[in-house]
Amino acid sequence: MKVNEVPQDDVFDYSQGIKKGNYALDDNGKYVMVPSKGWVVDEMINRMVCDEYRAKEEETRQAVLAGQKSPLAYYMELRQMTPEILGKTAGLAAFRVKRHLRPEIFARLKPSVLEAYAKALAITTEELISVPKNPRER
Amino acid sequence: MTTELITKETLANGRTYIHRTSAHCETGVTTALFRDKGLDISEPMIFGIGSGIFFGHLPFIKQTGLPISTFRSIPGLVFKKAAQRLGVKVFRKRFRNQQKGMDELRRVIRTGQIVAVTTNVYWLSFFPRRYRFNFSGHNFIVLYENENGFRISDPALLEYTVDCSTHDMERSRFARGPMEPRGLMYYPVYVNPNPDIRKACITGMQDSCKQMLGIPIPLFGVKGMRFVAKKIVKWPEKLGYVEACRQLAHILRLQEEMGTGGAGFRYIFAAFLQEAGELFGSKELNELSNEMTAIGDVWREFALVSSRIIKQRKSKSEETFEKAGGLMLICAGREEELFKNLRDVVGKLKA
Repeated sequence: MKVNEVPQDDVFDYSQGIKKGNYALDDNGKYVMVPSKGWVVDEMINRMVCDEYRAKEEETRQAVLAGQKSPLAYYMELRQMTPEILGKTAGLAAFRVKRHLRPEIFARLKPSVLEAYAKALAITTEELISVPKNPRER
Repeated sequence: MTTELITKETLANGRTYIHRTSAHCETGVTTALFRDKGLDISEPMIFGIGSGIFFGHLPFIKQTGLPISTFRSIPGLVFKKAAQRLGVKVFRKRFRNQQKGMDELRRVIRTGQIVAVTTNVYWLSFFPRRYRFNFSGHNFIVLYENENGFRISDPALLEYTVDCSTHDMERSRFARGPMEPRGLMYYPVYVNPNPDIRKACITGMQDSCKQMLGIPIPLFGVKGMRFVAKKIVKWPEKLGYVEACRQLAHILRLQEEMGTGGAGFRYIFAAFLQEAGELFGSKELNELSNEMTAIGDVWREFALVSSRIIKQRKSKSEETFEKAGGLMLICAGREEELFKNLRDVVGKLKA
């Protein structure tokens, strides 16, 4: 890759002033460090993954509003966690977390458990018991 | 904005730290740590000496539910190997207790020693939100404490130093899940100002050849590349077109997005070979560097072709999975040749 071939696609709302280091050949055939403003390929892949997370999150939010899942499921998705990771973070067994994803069981949880979850998810206990009415803006 | 772009910082004991952009987080951090101790060395050199180049397909480690194809050695290994080969004494510690981990970090930076920490990207709010994934393996350098928390230098991502709040630091250092950092912090205690760089280079190159050619498991090195290439060709039939695109995108993410300096570290390695060629006055190494650059270009083309496939995943495109897999096979073949040649060339070099 030559210096002038280093992609400089300034993609809106993606790079936010971030510049990635790239090694490229200068005119004398020597490697130099060239900061890149981003590449459309990078951006596309990144957007794909973001969209995937968002779609999953929104799906879970709808399921919570429909009463099929507990709000915990939504906040777990929001923090990109799995029951295993959330369990470790909150200090609970993964199978308990999985049970708590069911709304009827979640509704009977002790305040101490709710607090542990709220702390692990970096939200307040009041937030934890319900989900936002509207989809999250990004 | 321009006034905020500070790249020079004064540490707690009055010394100056200069922030430099690098291509990859771990090598960038290692370079900065060694430079801070007075050893002037470039990032590609660290990458080469630490034998960072690799290929591995890890179907048993999942990220966002997809198997990982890695283009580098295990996180942490480059630092370890480079330190060992350059005669650097290292302090490296993980913590069970979060409070102890934070106290120790504060204590060390107060003495003016910069410290590298391993963190989970999701909890770092200075990161652009689109990069914030649940991935515990990002390294950066903590410079000193200030009213906002900590002043840090992230060579791989930013062109300037930023602040990181105490909350972010605690959460990201002690995040749970796959590859837990457990508060890992590390810094060199003693750096040999005149290390035997020639010897270190030879060891590094030999080790790289071993990693790429010698592991008798078909998931690693050149064999791993062939394995994945063959899988790519079969994906559309086996998984369906959409899922196949998802998997392909995941490979691209690891190749291009995760701070690799482009083409999955192949350009950094070419830069290393070039520098080593100058160091040894060896024409052969220089030729190998050119070949590595060419291979990097093929990887780049693979990324481009794959991105076209993914883009048109709804209406089937003229670019096919066979073509993408074929390009990867070409990479595998050429890299095998290159590392075999490198093995021969290194054998003739004198330390």
